[in-house]
Formats: sequence, structure tokens, C-alpha cells
Amino acid sequence: MQVAPLPQSDVSLAIQTIDLSKAYGGLQAVDRLQLAIPAGQFFGLLGPNGSGKTTTIHMLTTLARPTAGQASVAGHDVLRESVAVRREVGLVFQESALDRTLTVDENLRFAGMLRNLSRATIRQRSDELLELFNLRERRHAKVATLSGGMRRALDIARGVLHRPRVLFLDEPTLGLDVPSRRGIWRFIERLRREEVMTVFLTTHYLEEAEACDQVAFLTSGRIIGAGTPESLVRRFGPYVLEIDGTDMDAVSGLLSPRLGPCLKEGATASFRVPDEQFSFAELQAELNDSVQAVRWRRPNLNDVFLWINDPTLSAGFEI
Amino acid sequence: MTWRPVWALIERELMRMVRQRGRLVSALVRPLIWLLVIGAGFGTLLGDAASGGYQRFLSPGLLGMVMLFAAMLVSLSVVYDKEFGIMRLLIISPLPHYWVVIAKTVSGMVVAVVQAAAFAVLLALMGYIGGAVSLPLLVLGLVATALACASLGMLIAVWSSTLDNFAVVMNFVIFPVFFLSGALYPVQQLPDILKIVAAINPFTYGVDLLKHALVSGLAPPLGPDFTIAIDITVLLGFAVLAVFVACLRFSHESAAGLLDFLRG
Ligand SMILES: Nc1ncnc2c1ncn2[C@@H]1O[C@H](COP(=O)(O)OP(=O)(O)O)[C@@H](O)[C@H]1O
Ligand SMILES: [Mg+2]
Repeated sequence: MQVAPLPQSDVSLAIQTIDLSKAYGGLQAVDRLQLAIPAGQFFGLLGPNGSGKTTTIHMLTTLARPTAGQASVAGHDVLRESVAVRREVGLVFQESALDRTLTVDENLRFAGMLRNLSRATIRQRSDELLELFNLRERRHAKVATLSGGMRRALDIARGVLHRPRVLFLDEPTLGLDVPSRRGIWRFIERLRREEVMTVFLTTHYLEEAEACDQVAFLTSGRIIGAGTPESLVRRFGPYVLEIDGTDMDAVSGLLSPRLGPCLKEGATASFRVPDEQFSFAELQAELNDSVQAVRWRRPNLNDVFLWINDPTLSAGFEI
Repeated sequence: MTWRPVWALIERELMRMVRQRGRLVSALVRPLIWLLVIGAGFGTLLGDAASGGYQRFLSPGLLGMVMLFAAMLVSLSVVYDKEFGIMRLLIISPLPHYWVVIAKTVSGMVVAVVQAAAFAVLLALMGYIGGAVSLPLLVLGLVATALACASLGMLIAVWSSTLDNFAVVMNFVIFPVFFLSGALYPVQQLPDILKIVAAINPFTYGVDLLKHALVSGLAPPLGPDFTIAIDITVLLGFAVLAVFVACLRFSHESAAGLLDFLRG
């Protein structure tokens, strides 16, 4: 398919796409994506496995060719100015792409030289980044001897060595245990404080994306909702009510007239509670013996996604 | 065009070579065994006149062998890079993609030349290289042959997706390339069919160029078979063609980039 250049690319946008699409055979991996991400924003593309997040990143970083539509990154068209795009971006791959036969320092130096940085610059930047990511003591260790969390940190350090204007992080916490995940988020936070750049993040741990300025939900290659995390969560309502029990029909029969449709997952039914003053104590009194547990908690982005992703639930809740 | 990225790849390849000391040692021991065992055996078979002479005849072919294996190991490193994701780091760097192919080929060439030079020193110390040796021709022969071998390796690497099918390639490409060349026997004395195969095989011309450098003084069937000009033309022609095809195969973008470049 012939792809025309972007009509009038807006220079203040770090990333702009118009109908960006990618098909693999009959499978539409990314479907007419429209993005307009201003410079400096921390943007999160959220969606389950296979929703097209990596494919989107690959198109935006020139590693995959769009089958239709257009995209520009840092003011350069991804098809016609691919080398210029690659000069402006940093990319941390979903799968760690470090050379295990080299040390931490050597990995950084190799990446820096590929980007034509001088030895002095590489040394200075490595010092700063290894300090920032708590890897200073391990700088002469072979990558093969690092823990998963340390490797991920090194992946990220390498991705920003050349001070990219746009950083792409593809599932930076995938496969890590909870403490390492927290560590990685702390590093990303510190990094954002110290460097001015646009960050494009993907994750399927949706609840982790609350630090983003703006998020979009992706499912089957299409964006089904977008906004700031606070506004999305606020529009969802103040509470999620979760009820575990054996007779779900009875529970929904009792509560749906008041709370609307519920999301059933196994032996748990979840309700959106739109009212801050809702009396959970009264509710408890009404529930019968088939109920095993009642919990209420503040919603997170994962709840928002689950609800807007289900047509029977999203009716009363437009975003 | 900037050279630092190319140097980064060469440096990494050399670092690997030094670290994988076992590989380096076996790269030098393998041809040594050929020289001492096969060389002595064939020498005896060929009779007194040729004995000693045959081992000298063998040294260009064995230098070629060192480079063929070295270049293959570097292209194996391309496959390794693909498998472990490092290739992605290369294609996300701001280099045109065809430049990645060229840089990897050059790094293969450098490793091959370094190993062959080490082997040449060994041969000289053992007395198998001596007499009328042309040093400039030797350097030219090493560089041109290493380039052709590395290009062949790159051609194979862009078609191999896993380390497994690379082993198959070793058997069906490397060994025929080595045996069906003038490395072990003079091309003129091969049966007609094999003569044609050897004439098509670019490796033959690398060995021939090294024969010009090392054994041009040996009695006719043992000396070079082609002229220096033909050797160089074939080696460079093959390298350019192989790298070109490898670029086309490597990525859409490098194919498009190369075509733009050719259109001017
Ligand atoms: N190279 C490919 N060939 C065919 N299908 C692919 C390829 N890459 C991804 N896909 C498919 O495209 C869809 C989106 O994949 P991906 O972008 O990796 O999703 P995510 O990163 O959100 O998990 C999936 O259905 C996946 O199977
Ligand atoms: Mg992915």
C-alpha cells in the first residue's frame, strides 16, 4: 500500500499517528491508531497480551513497516526518515537484549559507540546512569551473573545513554517479581525527574500505569478508551465492591437494581459503586449465607479497563 | 559515514575472540594437524621429489582454511545476535541497515585476518614459509580472501534464523568450499568436472592469491593457477555481490536504501 506523508506534522507533538495500522496476513494487529502525544508527556499504552502494544512500538521505532496509515516521531516520518527517527529515540525491548558475554560497562560502551558517542561521553553517562540505577558495584560483572531486575535496569540505562528525545519502554516490568518491579518503577521515576523526555510506555499490569500523564487502553489493536489515569478512575466511581459466593445470580439479583450490572469472574462478582456515601454495613446485613466474602476497595486502571472492555458493562459508564 | 559504530562491532568481535580462548586455539591447531598429518601423508604418497614441497604447497590453503573458519564463526555471531536480540540493538541504532551488514562483514574480515596472520607467523617459525615470499602480496591475499570468506559467511547468516540450521550449513557449505578448491591439490590436475567446480568457487582464487605470495617459486603444478589480476577481481567481485544480496535480504529498509543509493 502506498503511504502518503503526514499532511502537516505538528512539531510540538513527540508522536503523532494517523490511522496507523499493521496487518499480519489476515490478522489486524494494530487497527487505525490515532495518537497525538505532546513532547515531555509520560504516555502509557495499556492492554492485555496480544493487543498490539509491541507492534505499535515497533512501527513507531521503524522496526516494523506499517501496512497502512502514517506516523511521525520527534517530527520525522517513520517510513521516509527512518534513520532520523532512530537517532531521536531510545527503545527498551520487551525481551532483554543485552550481550551476556560482555560486562555491564562493556554493554553500555558498545551501545554508546553504535550511537557514535565519544568515549568520554560514554564514560560520564555510564557513571551517572549506573549510579541512578544502583548498578555501580556491578559494573565489571558479566551480564550473565545479574538478576532479572538488574538486567532490566541495565536495559533501561542503555536505552537512555544517548539522551533520546523519545523513550519507548515495552513492558519494563514484565517477568519480574514484585520488589524488582517496584525498583524499576522507582528508577523510571528518578529518570523522569533528571531527564527531559517523552516516555512511551506499554504494560499489561494496568494498575502500574497510574504515574502516567495520559493512558490509552488497547484491545485487539484498537484504542477503546483514553484519558488521564485520575479522570478515568474518578469516572469509574469511588469504590469497587467484590463479593465472593456460591450463588452469583442471587447476588446480582439483589444488587444490580441498585448498582447496575456486575462483572463475574469465577466465584467473584464485582460491582461499581458510584456513591461515596454507600453504606457497606447495611449491605452486609442484607446478604445471605451463600456469600463467603465481601470486600470494597478503591478502583484502579485495571478495573476501568475490564469495565470498558465489556460491552454489557460499559453501557452505564462512558469515557 | 561514521566509523565508530563499525569499530564497536570489530572491537566486540575481537574481544570475543580473545575471551573464547578455546576457539582461538582450535582455530590454529586444526590447520596445524592438517599440515603435519595430512601434509606428511600426501607428501610421502607423492614421492621424494614433492615431499616437504607438498607441505609448503599446503600452507596457502591452510591459511585460507583459518580464514574460512574464522569468518564462519563471525557469521555465527550474527545468528547468535539475532537469537539473543542484540541484532535489534543494531537495527535500532541510527545506522542505515545496509551499513549494519557491511560493518558485520568487516568485523568478520578483521578477525579472520588476525587469526590467519597468527597462523602465518607459526608457519614461518616452523619453516614452512620461507624463500621467495612477497609480503605485500601476502597481506593483500589475506585481506582479499578474508573479505570474500566474511561475505560468504554474511550471506549464509542472513538466511539462517537459528543456531541449529547453521550447523547444517557448516557441513554443506564450508567443507565443499574448502575441498573443492585448490587448497589441497593443484586445480590443473583435478578431473574436468571438479576443475569446473573449483573454477566457480571463489575460495579457489583466495588460495591462488596466497600461492602467488608464498609458493610462486614451486615447480609448475604446485604453483598458482591464475593471474593475480583474475584472483583479485573474482574475490572482490564475489564480496560485493554477496554483501549486496545479503543487504537485500537483511531488511526491507536496507533493500530500499540500497536501491535509492544506486539510483543516485
Ligand atoms: N511477526 C508477526 N507475525 C505474525 N503475527 C504477529 C507478529 N508479531 C505479532 N503478531 C501478532 O500480532 C498481535 C499483536 O502482538 P503484539 O504487538 O506482540 O502484542 P502485545 O505486545 O500487546 O502483547 C498478536 O496477535 C500477535 O500474535
Ligand atoms: Mg508485547
